[in-house]
Formats: sequence, structure tokens, C-alpha cells
Amino acid sequence: MIAVSASGLTRTFQGGGQALERFTFEVPRGEVHGLLGPNGAGKTTLCRILSTVLLPTGGSASVLGRDVVRDAAHVRRSVGVVFGGDRGVYGRLTARQNLNFWAALHGLSGRALRERVAVLLERTGLTGRADERVDHFSRGMKQRLHLARGLVADPPVLILDEPTAGMDPIAAHEFRDLVAQLRDDGRTVLLTTHDTAEAEAVCDRVTLMRRGAVLATGSPSSVAGLVTSQDRISASGVPAAVVAELVARPEVVVLDGSGGDRVELETSGDTTGEVLHLLVDAGVTRLVRGRPSLEEAYLRLLRRQGMAVDR
Amino acid sequence: MRVLLASLRLQLQLALRSAEVLQACLMAPLLAVVFLSVASLGGDAGLVAFAPSAIVAPALMALWTSALFTAGQSITEDRALGVFESVVASPAPLPVVLLGRMCAVTAVGLIAFASSWLTSGLVFGHWVVVEHPLVLPVALVATGLATATTAGLLAPLFLLTPSARTVQNTLTYPFYLLGGVLVPVTDLPEWLRPLGRAVFLSWSADLLRDTLLPAPPADPWARLGVVLALGGVASLIGTTLLLRVLHVVRSSGSLSHT
Ligand SMILES: Nc1ncnc2c1ncn2[C@@H]1O[C@H](COP(=O)(O)OP(=O)(O)OP(=O)(O)O)[C@@H](O)[C@H]1O
Ligand SMILES: [Mg+2]
Repeated sequence: MIAVSASGLTRTFQGGGQALERFTFEVPRGEVHGLLGPNGAGKTTLCRILSTVLLPTGGSASVLGRDVVRDAAHVRRSVGVVFGGDRGVYGRLTARQNLNFWAALHGLSGRALRERVAVLLERTGLTGRADERVDHFSRGMKQRLHLARGLVADPPVLILDEPTAGMDPIAAHEFRDLVAQLRDDGRTVLLTTHDTAEAEAVCDRVTLMRRGAVLATGSPSSVAGLVTSQDRISASGVPAAVVAELVARPEVVVLDGSGGDRVELETSGDTTGEVLHLLVDAGVTRLVRGRPSLEEAYLRLLRRQGMAVDR
Repeated sequence: MRVLLASLRLQLQLALRSAEVLQACLMAPLLAVVFLSVASLGGDAGLVAFAPSAIVAPALMALWTSALFTAGQSITEDRALGVFESVVASPAPLPVVLLGRMCAVTAVGLIAFASSWLTSGLVFGHWVVVEHPLVLPVALVATGLATATTAGLLAPLFLLTPSARTVQNTLTYPFYLLGGVLVPVTDLPEWLRPLGRAVFLSWSADLLRDTLLPAPPADPWARLGVVLALGGVASLIGTTLLLRVLHVVRSSGSLSHT
């Protein structure tokens, strides 16, 4: 079953700005799906449309089979949203007061509400600070509270727009665990991020966006594989003769062979095995074999754009 | 109902942590001092004759000012905090959330009335007797609710444009005059009276003053009904407007702008 889908989704703004241009994708139920793309690619716009706070100007989108325009009320009941960053909560209230309010907006009350809020505070590690004013929280703590707010209704679909921007590495790793838990619960998660390592770690599939349209979509490794289907080998402490031999082989692409005893190569198929044997036989122990990362694919696919934002 | 109460509680919690409540609590007694001083220029007789007006007017003025403030602030502040999108994206209907928050001003009305009454007693030594203690609290609550829905009409305007603040500012003194807050509607020029009667405040002001006079108020429950009915009409118009404007900002993409 499809949890989130968009078909020919288009959004233009007054003044001619086009944030989404015939954007089409599908996220099956239970998938953690990452949206990646440069600033201005249209990620937030997509999240806004899916969470019904913005209307599309063309095409259609649905969540759990319900159209986000015609059936917005239904969509609102099944989606939890976190619109990025440390905003989105009342600073003058305590963490618990914030969650109590949001839980009530989602129809909880009485004991169910209190229990749910307690569980969320625990899950986001805020129990000890639950009755402090949110103003006094650090940025990362506000973000966790914001995340807890998005989870308050226990929704089957979660839309998270840059949930980890500005979190410290420990918090960001805890976030990965949290997403893994959500996936284990069978929830669908759509998340935008600028952290390709994070996307690689938590996403079943990713969509690379550019100028409001899909550039590539698939599992992180298949998207990485779009730029090269080669294996990547890097080694150091390689004898000069071996370096020369490797460089001489036509089926080996040398990415970096200028660093004396260091080499970085791309190979494929049987050649990979042969090259590895050669290196090991030559006594090389500092050896890494891998696939190109999502980060690399991202950079290669979008590099030509340089620092320019998408619009 | 749950959403309404949660929103009301939210507003009270927010207000307790801001200068709003303090301001409203100070405004009423300060105005009461001004009005009562003017009244006492006419000697003890003047004070006794005008005290009911001098207590009711500051209370209603504080109530109305704070309601206008809340109507503008609740949406503007939610947007600035980045909360507004999430409220709209939640299953709770926005008009109910707003109504709940607006209803919190009823508390301001009660506090303001109590503090003007205390001012008369403590500062001027004139303890005004509440002659009709049953009608008074009901009238104050009904007034609070009607104020909530009427001032709430402003909120959709704030959603459209931040310059709604100018409208907000012009809605004070003309409204006090029309609403018979400063002088009863019956003292207004004849051609203005029907207009004044369409403003719920005129019914509230008359009734509240009557509760401080020895004579039993005429048809108090019917007059309360008028206050609530006018409040109900405002609530219907407000809901329609708000839903309409919400659609507009979802289309234009200005919903999350501050
Ligand atoms: N309300 C709006 N009015 C006008 N233009 C808008 C509006 N919202 C977004 N845009 C434009 O649409 C484009 C896409 O913006 P969007 O916020 O979706 O990008 P994004 O991918 O989330 O970028 P980032 O990575 O910086 O968060 C941008 O060019 C932006 O200026
Ligand atoms: Mg964005």
C-alpha cells in the first residue's frame, strides 16, 4: 500500500516563482524516505503541501489514499509534522504544557493524554526537564520537544522537515535510533535533510530533488550507484612497483595516484578481486574497499550548480 | 469542547507569563481612579450617583482592549514562533482553537471588574453594594464570551495582513461610545442609538450598571440573552471569515509568513 504519493505536483507562487514542477513520487507504507536537494529545491514546499497547510497549483498528492486538498481533514488526522528547527513550540510554557496542548488538539484527554505525554518525554529524553520553561532549553532540546510534538498523535505517517539541523552528533545519532524505532512500529517517515550520511543511515529510499522535480530516486546505494557502478578501493603503504602496475592496467580507473604510496582506484567485476589480491600479496594492510557514498553521488549530480541556490 | 478548553488553558498559561494580565489588571483600577475622581467633583452625591458607571466602564474597557490584543496577538505570535503551521495541520478546527483562546479574556473581565470595585472602596472609601449578586457574575461571564467572539472577528484580518493593527487601534474609543460604556446608549444622539443597540457592549454595560443599583433590573435574563445572541452572531460570522481567509492564505502561500 502507498502511504504518500504525488503526481505531477506543481506549485507556483505569485511573482512566477516555481517551487515544484510536476513532481511525482511514491512512498510505500512503512518506508523511511529521504528528500535531498539544494536550498530552494522545493523540499519544504512539498512537506507543506503534504501536511495540508499549502495548496498545490497543479497535480495532486495523497496520504494513505486521501487527497490532501479534497480530504484535508482526514489527512490531518493521519499525519504528524515537524517543520524543522528549534521553533514550533511555545517558549513561555514548559515542555509538558506544550505537549498537553498538542495532545488535546489531536483529541487526547484525561489519562490517555497524560500517559502519552509521559511516554514522549521519556522517548525524547526530556523527562528530567519536563517542567522547565522551553525558553531555557538548548536548541537541540527544543528540537527534541518539537519532534515529540510531531509524534503526539501517534500518527501512521510522519513528515519531518530537517529534524536534525543543529543537533549535536549524539542527539543526531539518537534521532537515528528513534527513526529506526518508528520504522519498526510500521510507520511511514518522510524526512528532508542536508546530511547525506544521515539519509544513508536511516532511509530505505531517497529522492534527490532539483528545481522542484525528481532528479533520482531509489535506495541510497542505488542512487549512489547512478554516478558509478564501480567498486572503490583505496590503499596506502603501497610499494611503488605495485602502484605502477595498477596504473598500467587499462580496466582500472585511477582516481588518485599522485600521493606516493597512496592510491585510490575504481574497478568492477573480477578486476576488483584481482586488484585486492595484488595489494594483499604485496603486504598492503591499510586497505578500504567500498562503494561510492550517497554524498558523492549528490555532489556529482548537483555539482554543476555550485553554490547557487536552486532558484 | 476538549480543543476549546485546551486552547483556553493555553491562553491562560501564556498570559500568566506575560505582561498582558498585569496590564489589564492595572488599567482598570487606574481608569477607575480617573472616573471616580471626576465623579467626586460633584461631592458625595456625585460619587454615589456615578460610581456604578465609574466601576463598569473601566472593567469593560480593560476587557475589550485585552480582547482586541489577544485577537491580534494569538495568530501573529503563533506565526512568529513557527507554531501556526502545526496548529493548522492538526485535526483541530482553527476557529475552535481561536475561540478557546479568546474566551480566556473572560478572566480579565472578572479581574478588571473586581479591581475597579475595590478601587472605589479602598481609594475613595465608597463601597458600592452589589445589589443583584446573582445577575452580576452571569452578566460578566456572558459579556466575556460575547467580547471573545466579537473581538475574535479581527483575527482573520491579522491573518491576511499585519497592518490590521491600525484597524485594531481604531476599534477602541468609538466602540466604547457606541457600546454605551462611557455614557449609556440612551444618552447618545438619537440617530446613533440603533447602531449602539447592535453592539453587545451596550446591553452589557446597561445591565452591569443595573446590578449595582437598588432597583431590580428589568428583564435581566432577556437582556443577557441579547448579549449572548449578539455574541453568537459574531461567532458565526467570525468562523466563516476565518475559514475563508485560511483558504486564501493556503492558496497564496502566505500562511507561514510572519
Ligand atoms: N511562500 C512562498 N512565497 C514565495 N516563494 C516561495 C514561498 N515558499 C517557497 N518559495 C520559493 O520556492 C522555492 C522552494 O523553496 P523551499 O522552501 O521548498 O526549498 P527547500 O528545498 O526547502 O530549501 P532549503 O533546503 O533551503 O530548506 C524557493 O525558491 C523559495 O524561494
Ligand atoms: Mg526547507
